[in-house]
Parts: sequence; C-alpha cells; structure tokens
Amino acid sequence: MKKSTNMVKYIVKRILMMIPMLIAVLVITWILSQAMAINPLQSEVTGWDMQIYYDEMERLGLNEPIYVQFFNYFRDFFTGNWGESYSGKFEGWLVTDIIITVLPRTLEMMIIPIFIIPIIAVKLGSTSAKNRKKKKDIVIRSVAVIGAGFPSFWIAILLQYLFGIVLYEATFFAFDIGIYKANNVLLDPSFPDIIAPQSNSIVALLLFFLMIGGFYLIYRGNKLRKQNIPTSKKYIFLFLSGILICIIGIVPIMIFIYTYGTKFRLLDSIIFNEPLYFWDTIAHFLLPALSITLVSLAGITRQTRSSMLDVLNQDYIRTARAKGVPEKEIINKHALRNALIPTSNLIIGGVASILLGSIFIEYIFEYPGFGDTFFTSIISGNISLINGCVIVATIILLSSNLIADVMYTIIDPRIIYT
Amino acid sequence: MIEIEEETARTKEKNEKPKILSLIKFYLLPGWRVPEFSEQEYEIEKIRSKRRFFRHLLTPLTIAGALIILTFVFMGIFVPWLTNFPLQEIVPPSIPGVPYMLPSPGHPLGTTRSGYDVLARMLWGARTSLLMAMIPTGLAVGGGLVLGIISAYFGGKVDYVLMRIVDLIYSIPTLVIVLILTQILGLNLIDMLMIWGAFAIAGNLRFMRSLVLQIREMLYVKAAKTGGALKFKVMFSHILPNALPPMILTFFGQMAITMLGIAAISFLGLVNAQIPNWGQDISWASIYEENIIAFLIPGICTGLFAIAAMLIGDGLRDAIDPRLKL
Repeated sequence: MKKSTNMVKYIVKRILMMIPMLIAVLVITWILSQAMAINPLQSEVTGWDMQIYYDEMERLGLNEPIYVQFFNYFRDFFTGNWGESYSGKFEGWLVTDIIITVLPRTLEMMIIPIFIIPIIAVKLGSTSAKNRKKKKDIVIRSVAVIGAGFPSFWIAILLQYLFGIVLYEATFFAFDIGIYKANNVLLDPSFPDIIAPQSNSIVALLLFFLMIGGFYLIYRGNKLRKQNIPTSKKYIFLFLSGILICIIGIVPIMIFIYTYGTKFRLLDSIIFNEPLYFWDTIAHFLLPALSITLVSLAGITRQTRSSMLDVLNQDYIRTARAKGVPEKEIINKHALRNALIPTSNLIIGGVASILLGSIFIEYIFEYPGFGDTFFTSIISGNISLINGCVIVATIILLSSNLIADVMYTIIDPRIIYT
Repeated sequence: MIEIEEETARTKEKNEKPKILSLIKFYLLPGWRVPEFSEQEYEIEKIRSKRRFFRHLLTPLTIAGALIILTFVFMGIFVPWLTNFPLQEIVPPSIPGVPYMLPSPGHPLGTTRSGYDVLARMLWGARTSLLMAMIPTGLAVGGGLVLGIISAYFGGKVDYVLMRIVDLIYSIPTLVIVLILTQILGLNLIDMLMIWGAFAIAGNLRFMRSLVLQIREMLYVKAAKTGGALKFKVMFSHILPNALPPMILTFFGQMAITMLGIAAISFLGLVNAQIPNWGQDISWASIYEENIIAFLIPGICTGLFAIAAMLIGDGLRDAIDPRLKL
C-alpha cells in the first residue's frame, strides 16, 4: 500500500519534470528552425499575385518581429495549432493531421518486432549462456556480433536484393509480387482519407483515459474482494462505478472509430471491410519488420548472455542444484528471472530507439511512415513539419524512459524510488 | 670526511648482524619475510599481474580484432602506394569511365557510379573511416572524462547545471538533431564529426561521474587531501588513473556505434561527396544490380571495422575485469 502511493508520487514527479524538458526542446527546435533560414512561401511565389503573397505572410505571422513570432509559436503549440506543411507529399495539410496519419503506420509495422524481438533474444541469450563455449554458443554469438556490427541499412538493402531480385530470378519469375517496395500503385496511399476533427479526437482521447480510470476502479474492487472482509461491501460500489464509467467511455469511442477509423491500416481495413488493403499492408511491412528484427536482436542477446553468465555463478544457483532442482527449472526460473533485470531496461528503452531508427528502414523501403516523413521534411526544409516531428520524437523518448524506470521497480522489488 | 667513512663502516658491521637475526626470525615467526626480499617479491608480483593481464587479453578473437584494425590503419596510411588511382579520379566531378562495370584487369573489383574504381574507393575510404571513428569518439570520451571529474568532484551548482544539460541532451533524439544541424551548417564532414562527438559527451559524462563518486570516497584520495594536495592534483593524478580502465572499454564500444551512425548519415547523402566514404558507396550501388560487388564491399568493410572494435572492447573487458564475462 505504502509502496504504491510512493510509486504514484514518483510518476507524477517525473511527469512534472518532463514539462521543463519539453519547453527546453521547444526552444531549441525553434532556434534551429530559425537558423535554417528558409522562407516557407519560397516554393509558391511563382505565378502569384504579390498581394496574395503579402496576405499569406500576414496570415502566417511572418511580418511580426521575432520575439512576437517566438511567443506566437509557443501559444500555437499549446493550443494545438502546429502550423501546416507547405511542400512535399502532404502539401497544405495540418501538421497534427500528418502525424496522426503517419505515426500509426510506423507503429503497426513495429508491433511484430517490438513483441517478437525480446522473446527470441532472451531465449537465444539464455541458450548460449547454458551451452557456454560449445557449438550452439559460438553460432549464436557470431550471429549476434554480425547483427550488431553490420550497418542496418546495408542489411535492409541486402534483404531487398535477396527477396526482390535473387528470389525472383531463382524461381524463374514466379515470385513476382512487389514485396520490396511499399505502396501498391493501384491502391489509394492515404486510406482511409477521412481525418477526424481535432476537437473530436481530443474528446475521444479524454474518454479513453476515463475508460482506463474505470478499469483501475474495477481492479481495486477486485483486490478488495480478495481481501475478504465480511463487513465491507465497498467493492460492489467500486465494481458498479467502474463498469458504468467504462460503458460511458466505450459507446462514443466505438462511434468515433466506426466513423473516422483508427488510422491503423490493418484495423481500418477490417472495420471498413477492404480485404485488399489488409493483405497489401501485411505484404508491405513484412520485409522492413524482418530487417528491424535482425538488427536489434543482437544487443539484447549479448546483454542477456552476459548477465545470465553472471547469475549462473551465484550461490543460490549452486544451492538449487544441490537441492536437486531439475536443470531446466534452474535456467528458466531461478537464473532467468534475475538475469532479466538488467535486460529489461534495454528492452523497454530500446522501443524508442527502434521507433526513431526506423528512419533508415523506411527510407530504404519507401514505407510511408513517421521516419520517412521526418527525413523528407528535413531534406526539403519543411520547418513546421520538422518541429512537429522533433516534438513527437521527444515525447516518445521521455515517456519510454519513464516507463523503463517504472518497469524496473515492478521487475525488481528491491528498488524503491523516493 | 674521515669520520663519515668510519661511520659507514660501523653501520655496515651493524647491518651484518641482523642477517642471523633475520634467519632466526624467519624460522621462528610464521609469515615473516626479509624487507628487501618482500620488495623484490612485490616487483615480481607486479610483473606477474601484467603477464596475467596479457594472457587474458591475447585470446584469438581479440587478436583477430586487433589485426583487422591494424589492416585498416595500414590501408589508410599507405593508400597512395596501394592503388594506382589518385584521389581526384574517384570523387564526383570526374567521370573516368563506364559505371557499374564487372571486374576486369584494370578494375579488380569493378566500378561503381561514374566509373569510379571500387577497390580504390575502398582503400581511400579506409582513411576517412579512421577519422570518422577516432575524432568523435576521442572528443566524446575525452570530454566526458574531464567534465565528469569536474562534475563529480566539485558537486553543488556545477554538478546541477551539467546534469540538467545531460538530461536535456538525453531527451532529444541525437541522430535527428545531427541531421538538422548538417542541413544548417552545410555538408562539412569535420563539422558533423564534431557535433556528433559533442552530443556523445553526455553519456560518458554520466558514466564518469558515477565512477568518480565511488573513487572519491577511497582512502588514498582522503590521504592526498589531508596531505594538502591541490584540487586539480587530486583530480587528475589520483582519481583519473583509477577511473581510466572502464573509460577505455567504453571508447572501443562507442567506436563501433559512432562508425555505424556516421556511415548511416553519409548513406543518406548528408556528407560532402568530395570525400570518399563507405556509406556513400553503399547508397550509390544500392539500386543497381549490375555489379553487386560494388554494394557488398563497402558494407562488409564497415561491418568488419565495427566488429573489430567490439571484439577488442570485449577482450579488454575480460582482461581488466575477469568477473564480467561476455
């Protein structure tokens, strides 16, 4: 009880500490975007009436003195107006809309790697530690070193070459699906092309958090029920209020999803009943996901192996062996749980680095996700889009650090934050 | 003068007596040794620990890593003698021949874009990649070393300010900021290396700070302080040598990461194309399947360099701290 309240205090403190960090990052990105010295209207001047040009300058607030622009930027950021993109694929779109359409594509591509990598890597690491200096160990170690050492973009292109050209020619041109390039030409790239109004999506987000609160109430009620105090009937009240809150949350969220979609292409193709898009999406994110898996497997495997070797020398493992615990149980229960403590930080912290490292993979496979948008915006000097993307990346990094620290206490109960 | 000589003679006579005494002590007192002999033994022990260090260090994998690195250093130094192609013939403005040609007597590994020789670009690229590995890593580790000692030893306001800056750098994705800064500052390789190194200081600073906080409480540091040593003397001649071995390990670990990161940036084409480098080679040869060797060679070289650095780091860690195994 006491520990959980401490935990909540710690989380709230960390979230409050994130705010000055975020403001500092905002200032830095603003200074950088000013240093890029790009006229946002440069590409659209040709063929324009000068009056329209001046009006546009007035509308974007570029005529103001620099300190006024600075304060406007901050005001706009906190009121949800992050400016609009003025070049490239998403010309004229709001930056928030672009990020909402683009980020889910990356997330759905990353779901397979994020969940599969830790499982495989921990398994590999523990087997190689178990058979130390034997054939299995040497094979696993060399694969891990190769995965960590060779550049990720090189491995991705090599996969592209193997699947796209070698396999195509080896099967006498039978394996002819354009698997190595995303985006089928026949299909609409921006499916579904409905974007929810900002106010609606904010309401849906708030309702979502309300629903999480409802689930928390149900969880607390269940805990009270298990304590089995005969006089207290408080848990019935908790159950009822939790279920009520969940129902209040669920109905508008379902309506929201069925009208605007979730922007996750796999879910949307099921909701709007478009099987072609479903199979297309799966076919196109297989290879990028495979290359990400290969690359980021190595680090976790190496870490698991070294911490596993450290744990296997401990006294309690010898005690367990002396007691006559079967070897399989020693490895999986006694050793692995202790070895996972340093690895867990790497796994959870690695999610952010995988998301941000997707720039290269998406650039190579032309996958229309967050990384690709980010890179093209940097190359073309699309200031407002760069600012938006940097801020989203910062939020991902900060929150993943927070989650890693919180998970650390859950896995290792000896650590207590004050 | 004569008196002094007499005195020395007398002391010599005195010194001969304790030999018998020492023999008696040696037989009667368990664990007693002649002071001179124990000094000698101490020296031998030192040499033996050094020998143990080298025995742990010289495993086949570490030797392989060192050999690979030495090969690349050799290539980097003696490029003009190893290849017939001068630097001017393998960088963009010149178009010397047929692009993406298969291997032939003139070009042992074929050609890549604009007919540049693959082997020549590989050899000249070794020079660049030595720079790419050394400058940012040296800057990052050196900066982290000095700032980490200052932050941990002085504490207080200096420590607070430095740690907040580190937190800030940790919260921004480094790669992205480097990409944006290259757009602002132009495509200059040295600038980019400096920026990368400056950002990488943060992690080393935090690591060094944690090391120094441990060492600061040791007895010998307190003894130096009470002996009246100056602050900088304590910091750089008492604390620094003891914090050095773990930092040398991070140097080799980071060399691999830096190498791969900068290769990735040059793969995106954000580095001056006038300088031959392997990342650029990969991006040039990536879409064409006519001469796959032109694509394979630079990638394998980058990978070998990074793996060699990692192997040396692992070997050093085994030798310095045998308890940690990898």
